[in-house]
Amino acid sequence: MPGEVVLEARGLIKDYSRARAVDGIDITVHAGERVALLGPNGAGKTTTLFMILGVVAPDGGSVSVCGFDLARHRSQAAECIGFAAGYLPLTERMRVNEYLRLYGQLYGLADPDPRITEGLDRFRISHLANAMGTELSSGQRTLIGIVRSTLHQPKLLILDEPTASLDPDVALRVREGLIDVANNEGTALLMTSHDMTDVEQVCERVLFLSQGRIVADGTPASIAESFGRGNLEGVFLHLAADREIATSQQTDHP
Amino acid sequence: MTPVTPALSPRARSWLRMRAIARRHAYVLVRSPHRLFDVTLWPLVDVVLFGSLAAFVGTNQASGASKASGYLLAGIVLWHVIYQSQIAMSTGLLEETWTRNLLNLMVTPLREVEYLGGVALFGMVKLVIGVGVMVIGALAFFSFHTWSLGFGLVPIVAVLLVVGWAISLFVMGLVLRFGTGAEALAWGVMFVLLPLSGVFYPTKALPALMQPLALALPTTHAFTALRSLVDHRGSDWPQLTIAAAGSLAMLGLAMWFLVAMLRTFRRRGYITRYT
Repeated sequence: MPGEVVLEARGLIKDYSRARAVDGIDITVHAGERVALLGPNGAGKTTTLFMILGVVAPDGGSVSVCGFDLARHRSQAAECIGFAAGYLPLTERMRVNEYLRLYGQLYGLADPDPRITEGLDRFRISHLANAMGTELSSGQRTLIGIVRSTLHQPKLLILDEPTASLDPDVALRVREGLIDVANNEGTALLMTSHDMTDVEQVCERVLFLSQGRIVADGTPASIAESFGRGNLEGVFLHLAADREIATSQQTDHP
Repeated sequence: MTPVTPALSPRARSWLRMRAIARRHAYVLVRSPHRLFDVTLWPLVDVVLFGSLAAFVGTNQASGASKASGYLLAGIVLWHVIYQSQIAMSTGLLEETWTRNLLNLMVTPLREVEYLGGVALFGMVKLVIGVGVMVIGALAFFSFHTWSLGFGLVPIVAVLLVVGWAISLFVMGLVLRFGTGAEALAWGVMFVLLPLSGVFYPTKALPALMQPLALALPTTHAFTALRSLVDHRGSDWPQLTIAAAGSLAMLGLAMWFLVAMLRTFRRRGYITRYT
């Protein structure tokens, strides 16, 4: 039986000058659910996440997080959300513990230190607490970013390609850590990834996006089956090929 | 699992976030020695430059130019109130864009007003250091006692502070709308304001065409009030009233502009410039 609804997005639309990036997306995520948002480049994944995070305003539709309407109560909604992405830098000129303390306080934690210690332990990076951000590898920065995003025990953790450019060992640590967060803290996950191993190991539900629309919603196995493919990668390649055909038709017939 | 500490009140959380932002910028200053130049070396260079000019002009007693030496030194010290408050705020946001940190901040519960409060809080620290260095420099090198101008300085400083903040909000709005290309304005706008505001001279000295524009600026009236203090004529309350009203109007306009630009920033998805 699904838990409480932590994210409810209805009819999300986003138009950019050259095209419609997101075209009427509905997403509901329940507490503790682990959901992947998949699709080829340009499918609208990151734009959708940015609208859910409140950094991009939708042209249509609404987003509610933990019962807070994002358009009117962004700050309260943001208290329920954590966000990490492989491309996000660490704040410069700060040590790791200073950086984590800063973000803990931005999330309203008067004493974030116990949560910092716990987060660093979870991802096995306690030895980095006093390192300067500039001394870290990209994998270490990603792990620190995920620790930051979980400090305040968010009800919804949003991850945009969390394992991009990571070596297999660090990627494994990310996956294990995320499953631990979801299982032990009841945090719902909504993540994008181009690594189907991530998705199959971490997520129990997949939303497939293509050209700004959700074209499939189900378990990894049921989606692969419904597209007549052996696995998610097959579905991915199939949708990417469809998009290329559509794009070339638009070019031929403007 | 460590439980998250009991929730603070909304006001306490707000204050916590502002202090966190102020501390973040303190790290930037302390760990980037070249930025310390902005609050130490460059203000001192200005004091030496304008103090030397004042000393030279002041030797010409026949033309009554000795008064000008007070105008120059008091003018440059007070000019730095605008300069430091404006630069501290503007570079606060620019720092987030230079380091692609904007998205990190925008996904947190941090409200825009809390961010501005935090940057302004640390900007006040920079202002005190920068202007403090100038006051000490003016005394040490030119025996100019800034505080001899008395408490009449307080409302002038307040007006200049508000103008500095207003300009920075305007610059921030432009940066959000046009990207870091607009950062040149952070510095450039000060070079336009400096001559028009009659920082060192009455606006009658300006070309006639520019005088109406100068009179429309609150800074012009603040510096006119400053010259009244330098001339030992006491506080010029009519000029201060115009300056205060003008600075508040300017602040209101700048806030409206920033809010509008932030709305555009979100609507057009400009965050992708910084990811």
